[in-house]
Amino acid sequence: MLEGSSLQSGWRRLLDDPRGFCVAHLGSIELWATAVVIGWAFAFMLWQGVGFAITVGTVFGIWAILALSLNLVLGFTGLLSVGHIGFFGVGAYAVAILTSDPAYEQLRTEAIPTYGWSFFAALPVSVLAAGLVALAVGIAFNRFRDDIYVLVSFGFAIIAYNVFLNWRGVTRGAFGIHEIATPAIGGWVLDGELEFLLLVLSFLGLVALVSYFLVTSSFGRVLTAIREDETAIEVFGYRATHFKLSIWVISAMMAGLAGGLFASWTSFIDPNSFLLLESVLLVSIVILGGLASIRGSLLGAMAFVLLEEGMRFLPFIPTEYVGQGRQVVLGIMLVLLMLYRPQGLVGRYRL
Amino acid sequence: MIGNALAALRDQGRLAALGLSLLVIAYLAWKVGQSPQQALQFAFNGLAVGAIYALLAMGFTLVYSTVWFFDLYYGAAATLGAYGVFYLRSSDALYSRYEVANPVINGVLAVVAGCVVAWLLHVGPMARLQPKLPDNAYRALVSLLGIAAAGYTLAVLSFPEHLRVLLAPAVGAAAAIVVGMFLFGLLERLAAGLGSGVRAIAATLAGSGVGAVIGYLLAGAEGADLYLSWLLSCLLAGSVGLALYRGLYIHMRARAKSPLIMLVASLGVLLSLTAFISIAFESAPRPLPATFGSASITIAGAYIKGFNVFAIGVALLGFAALWLMLRKTTFGRAVRAIGDDEQVARVVGINTVVVVSIVFFIGAVYAALAGVLSGHDTAIQPRMGLLLLLKGWIASVVGGIGNLYGAILGGFVLGMVEQFGIWDLAGEWRDAIAFVLLILFLSFWPNGLLPRK
Repeated sequence: MLEGSSLQSGWRRLLDDPRGFCVAHLGSIELWATAVVIGWAFAFMLWQGVGFAITVGTVFGIWAILALSLNLVLGFTGLLSVGHIGFFGVGAYAVAILTSDPAYEQLRTEAIPTYGWSFFAALPVSVLAAGLVALAVGIAFNRFRDDIYVLVSFGFAIIAYNVFLNWRGVTRGAFGIHEIATPAIGGWVLDGELEFLLLVLSFLGLVALVSYFLVTSSFGRVLTAIREDETAIEVFGYRATHFKLSIWVISAMMAGLAGGLFASWTSFIDPNSFLLLESVLLVSIVILGGLASIRGSLLGAMAFVLLEEGMRFLPFIPTEYVGQGRQVVLGIMLVLLMLYRPQGLVGRYRL
Repeated sequence: MIGNALAALRDQGRLAALGLSLLVIAYLAWKVGQSPQQALQFAFNGLAVGAIYALLAMGFTLVYSTVWFFDLYYGAAATLGAYGVFYLRSSDALYSRYEVANPVINGVLAVVAGCVVAWLLHVGPMARLQPKLPDNAYRALVSLLGIAAAGYTLAVLSFPEHLRVLLAPAVGAAAAIVVGMFLFGLLERLAAGLGSGVRAIAATLAGSGVGAVIGYLLAGAEGADLYLSWLLSCLLAGSVGLALYRGLYIHMRARAKSPLIMLVASLGVLLSLTAFISIAFESAPRPLPATFGSASITIAGAYIKGFNVFAIGVALLGFAALWLMLRKTTFGRAVRAIGDDEQVARVVGINTVVVVSIVFFIGAVYAALAGVLSGHDTAIQPRMGLLLLLKGWIASVVGGIGNLYGAILGGFVLGMVEQFGIWDLAGEWRDAIAFVLLILFLSFWPNGLLPRK
C-alpha cells in the first residue's frame, strides 16, 4: 500500500480503515479523552470564574471518591453493584445524626436523637458504620454473580432508600436532617468553600492512594484473578469469598467516607439524595471513565460533573431539564460504549 | 474459619429460613383469625397488584428465557405504554388539560413504526414476492409500504382527537384478514368439495363484510377512544422493543462476551428513555383518564374495584394467550428451541433474528399493557418503569425464572406478600418487603417456586 503522501490517499485511508487511521495519526483514545476532559475543566474555570469552579470541584471530589470505591468492586473484582448509593447514604446519615446541632429546633416531626459530635469524630464512625452494613450485606450477597448480583444490588439500594425514608425515629424521613456540622479542628473551622474543597481533595488523594496500593498489591492481583476466573483461583487455594467480602467492605467504607463529606458539605440531607437513580449514574460514571483504572474513575467523575455544569450554561436547554438532559446523554453514552468500547474511555477490563 | 462458619450458616440457612417463614405464616394465620375481614381486603389488594406483576413477569420471563440476558428496556416499555395512553388521551384527563402534542415524538414514533412494518413485511408476507420481482421494484415496494405505514402512524398520532375514526379502517382491515383466513381454513375442513377459488372468494367476501361492520361500529362508538389508545400505545411500545433488538441488541450480542454488556447497554436505553419522557411530560405524577369499573364491588365485606377484577382477567387471558402461543404453534416451538440453544436452532433452519425480534415485540407489549393497567390503577410518572421492571424481575425470579407458570404464580405471590407484609408495617415499606423476599428466595431457593426444567 502506498504511503499517505498526498491528501487524497490520506482520505482514502480514513475511509478504508478509520480505526487504523486514528491510531496511526491521532494517538490513542485514552490520551484524547484525558486531554479533552482536562482542557474542558480549565476552559470552564476560566469561563465561570474560580468561585464557581471551587463548588464544582467539591462535587467532583465527592463523585470521584464514590467512583473510585465502586471501581474497586466493579472494575477490579468484576461485581456490578448498583447499590453503592446505599453505603453513601449510611455514611451521610451517620455524620448527620452524630453532628447535627441538638439546639436546632426540630420542626414538625418527632425529635430524633442528636449527639452534637464534632465532624472529625463522626467521620470515622460513618466509615465504620458503612463498613459494618457492608459486612452484613456482603455475607448475604457473596454467593451471587453477574446479572443476579445486579438485581440484588438494586434491591439493596431500594431497601436502603426505604429505610432512610421510613425509619422516621432516626432519620426524620422525608423532612431530612438540618444543621449538620461543618468540619472544625480545635478552633479552626473549615467553613470556607476553598477549605472544604481542599479537605475533599485530600481525602480523594488518600482514597486514590489506598486504591492504588490495594490494586498493585498481591491482594489486588487475587481480585483480578477472581474477576477473570473465580474457580481457577480457588484451585490455587485462595478463598474467593473472603477476598470479595474484604474488597466489598473496603469499598463501602470509602463510599461511607464520601457520604460523610457530602452531608457536611450540604449541611442538609434528605432521602432524595440517595435515590436509586444516583446509583445508576454512578455506575455509568465508572464505566464511562474506565473499568479497572484509577485514572479512569477520576476522568469519569470529572466528565460527569462537567457535563452537567456545561449543560447548565447551554442557551438552548432550559435549566429545569439539565438533570434529565445529562441522563439522556449518559444513557446514550453507555449504549455507545457497550457497542464500541466496553472497557470505558481509559479502562483495562472489558465487561 | 469465617468460611466454615459461612458454609455452616448456609447449610442450616435453608432450614432456618423455612422455619422463619413458617413462623411468619403462622403469625399471619393468627392475624387472619383475629380479623378475617381485614385479611380478605389484603388478599383482594394482593390479587389486584399481583395481576400487574404477573403480566410483567410473564413478558420478562419470555424474553429472558429466549435470549438469556436481562433486557432493562422492559421498564421503559411499561412507561411508554402508560405515557402513550396519556399522550393520546390527555384531552380526556381532567387534571391535565394542556397541549402535549409534540411533532418530534410523533415523527420519531412514525419512523420507528414505518421501519418495523417495512421489515416485518420484508421477512413475512412479502418474502415470497422477492424472487419474482426485480430487485429495485421490490425495494421500492417495501419502502413505499413502510412510508405509508409511517404516514398513517403520523396522522393518527397528530390527531388523537379523531382516534377512533382514524384507527377504525386499520382495525377493520385487521379483523377482515383474521376472519378471512380463519374462514378459509374452516371451509377447507368443512367443505372440501368446493374449489379453492370458490373458497377464497367466499372467505374474502365474508371477511371483508365482518371487517367493514367492525370498522363502522368502531368509528361510531363513543367510548372506544380510550381503549383504542391502549391498543395503539401497546403496539408502539412493542415496535420500539422490536426496533431496539433488530437495530441495536443484535449487533451487540454478536460481539458481547458476557450478559453484563447487554444489561448495561439496556440500562443506558432505560436511562435515556426515562429521562426523555420526563423532559417531554414533566416528572410529576399524572392521572390517566377514568375508565369503566371505578366503582367498588363488595364481596363479604371487602372491597375491590371493578377495574382491578378486569386487570386480573387480563393477566389470566395474557397467560392463556402466551401458553397457547408457546405450546401450540410452530412459532412457539421455535421460541422454545431458541431458548434451549440458539446455535442449534439456527442450524436447523429457524430464522432466529425474526423469531427473537417478535419475542421482543411481545415482551414489550406485555410490559406496556402492565404499565397501562397500573397507570389507570394509580397514576403515571416517568420513574414508574424502573420500579415495575424490578417488580417483574423479582416476580419472575420468585416464580422460577424462565418458567411461564412460575411467572404468573410469582406475580400473584409477590402481590400477596407485599400486601400481607405491610399489615404490621406502614405501606411505604412495600418495595423493601419485595426485595427482602427476593433476597431470601435467591439465598435459599435460587431456582424459585417452579424451576425451569
